Amino acid sequence: MDSFSSPSIGSSSSNISSSDLMDQLKTQLAQAYAEEFLETVRGKCFEKCITKPSSSLSGSESSCISRCVDRYIEATGIISRALFNAPH
Amino acid sequence: MDPSALNSAEMQRLLNQEKEKAMVNEMLAKLTSECWDKCISSAPGSKFSSSESACLSNCAQRYMDMSLIIMKRFQSMH
Repeated sequence: MDSFSSPSIGSSSSNISSSDLMDQLKTQLAQAYAEEFLETVRGKCFEKCITKPSSSLSGSESSCISRCVDRYIEATGIISRALFNAPH
Repeated sequence: MDPSALNSAEMQRLLNQEKEKAMVNEMLAKLTSECWDKCISSAPGSKFSSSESACLSNCAQRYMDMSLIIMKRFQSMH
C-alpha cells in the first residue's frame, strides 16, 4: 500500500463523514510532508558528510550525519521564525 | 456523506485552508533548502556558529524583500 491509498476510502465511501475525509486528507498530507522532508535531509547530509564513500561508514561520518539532521531541523526552525515573526 | 457535500461552501473553505497550509509548507521547505546551501559551507557541527544562524535568518528575510521587489516590478509593467 503506497502512502496515498487508504483501505477505508472506496468500499464505504457513502458512509464517510466530511470530517473523517478531512482528517484523512490532513494525515496523508502530513505523511507526504514528512517523506519530502526526509528526502531533503538525506540529500543534504549525504552531500556534507559522505564526501568520499568508502567500504563502510566511519565513526566521524556517522556523527556528522547525526549532527547534520539536528542542524537541518534547527535551520528549518530559524527560517520559519524569520518568515513568520519578522516585523518589517 | 452525500457526494454533493464535496462541493459545499464549508468543504471548499476547509480545502482552501489545507491548500494554503500546503503552500506555506512548500515555501518553508524550499527556502530552508536554499538557505542551507548558501549558509552552511562546511560539515555541520554540534551547533551553528553565530554567523551561520545569522546567515540563515538573513537569507529568509532577504528572500522576502526580493519577492516584494519582483512583484512590484512585475506589476509596474502591466
